[in-house]
Amino acid sequence: MKPNKAQSAQEKSGAPPLYRLRLFIAGDEPNSAQTKVVLTRLCDKRLRGRCEIQIVDVFEDYQAAIDYGVSVVPALIVESPPPVRTIVGSLSDEDKALAALGLAKEGGHER
Amino acid sequence: MRVNLEKVPTHIRGLDDILEGGLPRGRTTVINGGAGSGKTLLAMEFLYRGALAGEPGIFISFEESTEQLRQNAAALGWDLPALEQENRLFLLDGRIKSDTLISGKFSLKGLLAIAAGKSREMGAKRIVIDALEVALRLFDEPRQVRSEIHLLNDWLQQAGLSVILTVRPPSRGGVSIYEDFFESMGDCVIVMDARVADQISTRRLRVVKYRGSGFGRNEYPYVITNNGIHTAPISTVGLRHKPLGEKITTGIPRLDEVLDGGYRRASCVLFAGMPGTGKTILCSTFVAAACSRGERTLYISFEESEAALVENVLSAGVALRPHIESGHLRLLASFPEAMGAEEHYSRALEAIEELSPAHVVVDAISACERMGGKQAAFEYLMRLLNACKERGITVLLVNQTIRKDDFSEISGIGISSMVDTVVRLTYKEDYGEITRLLHILKSRGSRHSNQKREYVITDDAIQIRDLYFGEGEVLTGAARQVQEAKDLAEAQRLDYDIQTKELELKQLHLIREQMNSGFAARTAIRGGKAFRRRPDDSGGER
Repeated sequence: MKPNKAQSAQEKSGAPPLYRLRLFIAGDEPNSAQTKVVLTRLCDKRLRGRCEIQIVDVFEDYQAAIDYGVSVVPALIVESPPPVRTIVGSLSDEDKALAALGLAKEGGHER
Repeated sequence: MRVNLEKVPTHIRGLDDILEGGLPRGRTTVINGGAGSGKTLLAMEFLYRGALAGEPGIFISFEESTEQLRQNAAALGWDLPALEQENRLFLLDGRIKSDTLISGKFSLKGLLAIAAGKSREMGAKRIVIDALEVALRLFDEPRQVRSEIHLLNDWLQQAGLSVILTVRPPSRGGVSIYEDFFESMGDCVIVMDARVADQISTRRLRVVKYRGSGFGRNEYPYVITNNGIHTAPISTVGLRHKPLGEKITTGIPRLDEVLDGGYRRASCVLFAGMPGTGKTILCSTFVAAACSRGERTLYISFEESEAALVENVLSAGVALRPHIESGHLRLLASFPEAMGAEEHYSRALEAIEELSPAHVVVDAISACERMGGKQAAFEYLMRLLNACKERGITVLLVNQTIRKDDFSEISGIGISSMVDTVVRLTYKEDYGEITRLLHILKSRGSRHSNQKREYVITDDAIQIRDLYFGEGEVLTGAARQVQEAKDLAEAQRLDYDIQTKELELKQLHLIREQMNSGFAARTAIRGGKAFRRRPDDSGGER
């Protein structure tokens, strides 16, 4: 419960929490490339850079894919803040991506 | 295309015979089967037996968790964790977690990366992709589905693994848009299904396609035994039968005379007769004689328990108990309806493999229909007979007939072509006295007397009396040859009779059904009046 309190405290203070993201891609195939672009933009614009992205290429590190149970790519695992969530796909549906990150959409009532 | 198709044995009992050696090596086999058909099990057995035989394998599951797979395998005595530890088997849970969010396009490349990496690491030779259609459900567009299948197919082709891909057919007659893709992916396509007939479940397997190879084209029943799948191809019946052996005594010297020396070893002898004609006693006399010579016998009883059977034949002076105790005789007693025909068969086969008997008795084949219908009985007997004939085992079949002169009953449940000798037991009542008669209807590869012989069941074995002259006469030399030709003609006539009678019987059943339903309808309309009719009530009826 403690992290939640901390998180809500952060939210009240207006500073977004730190996001730890792990992105699984498959080489430079189009979906993976697109995801990287979208995610970088979201990070810069919406999370104000408060995120750490670790990119894993499944062709180079299949053991990580096994460990994280990733069978489809691209797959984004939000490791923190909790709860841990998985979003698969190229993130082209940004509303869904934002919802998964716990953020409201652009122009919404986010303070 | 027919040249140099390498095969990989599945090591699943019976399946490699149907597949004429196994599945295509380095290629894809598609198994299409509904819920409960055992396709996952078959695929797992392919990997398990492969791993034991030195071919490591990968199992990708889209339906069950790896823990479930391990448990199901453990129930069959397969220790998957041991193989996993030795890197001979890898189980991958390919299921997408239910709380996963989807945003935009994705592909199964993660899975392929894992499969590729893992197969390099462990030197995999086999791979199973279980319930592929579940994974494909994630994709909304048919075009995407197609591209995923191509992706998978391309990888499988260049990876050179022997693949089993299982898919479930669309439920309730719906048409799956993937079906054509699946069929075209597979060099070999097998359909498995489980159905329930007369409350007894039967599973069947059929190879529908095998590029560049021959295969058994029938539907083959299979059973999930306590150590895996077991199937026996009926079409190979007769291919590896041992020739008939020397004469062996029936246990009754005078019957040996009638049969020109006795039954032939490795032959199939059918005893047909009405209740009380002494079929079981006649069989047991042979069994006791065989066991006394030190030959082992398996007695499959569907009519009586071990104790009842032993008691029953003891009253006619045939002692089985000592042979059971010495281990020469084993009784396998069970009710036909206790399990399906496949299970009965695999139990019998296990006993045969353990005991390696010289003789097998089935008492009675007329009870086999209770395993789940005529077809089930036929399959059970055909396979059992086949297994025995391949091993050179003599088979004695008891067939209980209901009416005195129904020839169609005598031949048994469609197995007459496998029967070498038919001993028919009847009785007739003359002058207030019952006379039991024995008559050899056929005896393949042996001369025999065509005469009816009178016999009595005493408390000291069956006694055959002197020649009976009631019908026919003593035949010798040329007259006997003529008689044999007549017998052949008679046999053909009987076959024809059997078919017509079966048809008639069907019609009679139909008519009776109609009458029953008509009667029920009339009773319903009349209500209670049906039983207390007044004279004026019956007017409209007649």
